[in-house]
Amino acid sequence: MADRVRVRGVTIHRPIIYGNTATVLTPAERETSHYPDHTHRWTVAVRSATSAPDSDVVGGADDLAYFVKRVTFKLHDTYPNPTRNIDKPPFEVSETGWGEFEIQIRITFVAESGEKAITLYHHLKLHPWSVTFPLPNATSVPAEPEIPSPENAAKLGPVHSWQYDEIVFADPFQNFLALLTAHPPTPLPKTSLSKKPIPFHMSNPASLEASLKGGVPEFTSAMEKEEADRLEEAKGKIIKEQERWRSILIEKEKELERLQKLLAPKE
Amino acid sequence: MAVSASDIRSALSLPSSSTPVLSAQPAPRKSQGQATKKPEGISRELYALIGPSAPSLVAHLAKPRLKQKPNLSSGGKVKWEWRTFRHGARTDSLQLGHWAKATDDPNADKDWTTEETDYLFSVVREYDTRWYVVHDRYEYLNGPARSLEELKDRYYSVCRKLIRNRPWAGDEASKAQLLNSYQFDKDRERMRKDYIASLEQRTPEEIAEEEALFIELKRLEQNERKFKKERDDLLRTLLGIDSGLPDIVAEEDGPSALSAEGFKKKKKNANEIDIPPTPSNIISLGPPPPKRAQSAKSIAYDAQHCIIRVEPPPSAVTKVTHVPVHLRSFKLPAPKAAILPKVTQALTELGINHTRMVMPTRENCARLESLIEASTALIDTKKIVDRVEQDIRVLRVRLGRQSEGPEEDTKEGTPMEVEGGADGEGEVKPEVDGRAQSIVSTRSGRGRKQAQSRRSISVSSIDTSASARVGKRQKRV
Repeated sequence: MADRVRVRGVTIHRPIIYGNTATVLTPAERETSHYPDHTHRWTVAVRSATSAPDSDVVGGADDLAYFVKRVTFKLHDTYPNPTRNIDKPPFEVSETGWGEFEIQIRITFVAESGEKAITLYHHLKLHPWSVTFPLPNATSVPAEPEIPSPENAAKLGPVHSWQYDEIVFADPFQNFLALLTAHPPTPLPKTSLSKKPIPFHMSNPASLEASLKGGVPEFTSAMEKEEADRLEEAKGKIIKEQERWRSILIEKEKELERLQKLLAPKE
Repeated sequence: MAVSASDIRSALSLPSSSTPVLSAQPAPRKSQGQATKKPEGISRELYALIGPSAPSLVAHLAKPRLKQKPNLSSGGKVKWEWRTFRHGARTDSLQLGHWAKATDDPNADKDWTTEETDYLFSVVREYDTRWYVVHDRYEYLNGPARSLEELKDRYYSVCRKLIRNRPWAGDEASKAQLLNSYQFDKDRERMRKDYIASLEQRTPEEIAEEEALFIELKRLEQNERKFKKERDDLLRTLLGIDSGLPDIVAEEDGPSALSAEGFKKKKKNANEIDIPPTPSNIISLGPPPPKRAQSAKSIAYDAQHCIIRVEPPPSAVTKVTHVPVHLRSFKLPAPKAAILPKVTQALTELGINHTRMVMPTRENCARLESLIEASTALIDTKKIVDRVEQDIRVLRVRLGRQSEGPEEDTKEGTPMEVEGGADGEGEVKPEVDGRAQSIVSTRSGRGRKQAQSRRSISVSSIDTSASARVGKRQKRV
């Protein structure tokens, strides 16, 4: 019974990534496919954030099965049995298709956790990230990126769209905490050992160039540092601006006071 | 079916609480309390429950009763006596006699003579019912020594009799009220004074002992409460809803989320039992509370296992709301809805997307939060500046000094100039379509002349036609 006690004041998290990889089907593959209109092969997955060395997939160094019981991927309704339950690792679904859509991912945890399932969404990305995405200093809204022809897309290589996140357990049960601590996650490498590119993310448009180096991307702690730096820099700018506006305000208030004094004797 | 406490006592053959068998000391007081009559308008059962501390309101709210019929038949014998009297219309000393009711005399009291009562009333009148003075000055020749209580009792009882028997102009209620105000309980008053005197005469040792006993009593009561609570918790844990304890059902929709969570679990799996984390449980079963000062080793351990330790708020130990499992990005900080567009705009210009992060780690989330806070403060400042500017414009117009060019040197076009208060005030902006461009170079309300002279600085600067607004303001003023 002692196992069913919550350890108060403890928050434990596990870094995961979720997203998809997509490749263009070769003409030969399209010939043999049941669906001649399908253009891409894609894999949507939930994995641990750290990539295994010498692996050709993004993330997945650790097995998440010790705390994840099931991952349910809800595909577009046009797929046969759109709800795919994956009960053992790897938690992923591979399919072919021609369009992008929103995938609902439902992660169910092992019974020891005593937690409900969580639901997240991933936009299946098939077409290459647009180069015309607005850079920080650009002012115009970019036009809808054109979908490149299959030949061009194939040249660009597989498309990766991954989101890093952390599953946070607050006040875990004693036995669940023990279970988690028995499986410490592999920490993210500082930088990619095998010179893999960083994954592109919409919130960091500048990362597009670096992600275009080719190859399978890998999550690194440098990415975290990079985002921290961006946030700090922005905050610095905001604070500077705030100081400037404060001095403006003080001046304006002096002016207002002067005017009020001028006006006062008349009334 | 209502059962009074005394019924239960008799059923269990317990001694009645009114019988002074328990102890000799508090007996007089107790019997006094028991002797008080049940006030009218309260049912017997209710009185048994609440005891003599019945709210006085009930007595007042009691239904007005019909006047009782005069009891003519069974009133017993009326005592008459032959009295002599002097007729008021005669000047000679003729003694006439008549029969008069013996009890009719308001002064009838075996202890008090009419003369002494008259003397009492004269003294009371003289000293304006200041009883201590009255008692001090009361010297009736050849009369017995009177205590203060006796004087008061006599005075009030005579007053009551007079009120009752004299014709009354007002209604019954006011008469009853007046009668009530002349109530006096001699014994009770004497006892009260004796009690106060005895309190005053306690020795320091007795006071100390009494206090010690009082503390001991409190402690015992507390222990009992604690014991009962623990017993309830245990029952609840072992029997769940079957224990019949009221809290379990109440908790279902109560704010205590801990039990709500526990309850759900019970539904899911009846065998699985969630222990409510009472302090005793934590102490006996839980792990030792995390210490503030962590060793380097434990920090490394926590980092390896992604553990964050926070000191749980001590008050929330029993009533803690469990935060369910979530993705870190679910709890991204969000600006207030009112200024959301402005914050988004400002942050977008700085290349930050506050709704989605690349690496939503704990540290980065905290950084984003402080960034949003700073932006909010900035936008607030700008709003105030806008308002002050508006006030300045209004004052200028009122001063009739529009011809004087307003000084706007401080407003240089810089990145991140976000529209301030002018937007919020919902004023008419004739050139709204010009606003579609980046806010980077947009100015909020500025003087007309200045705008003309400044327009060369930034091509896209937009004049929000201050002149039109000033006109509007003026009308309002």
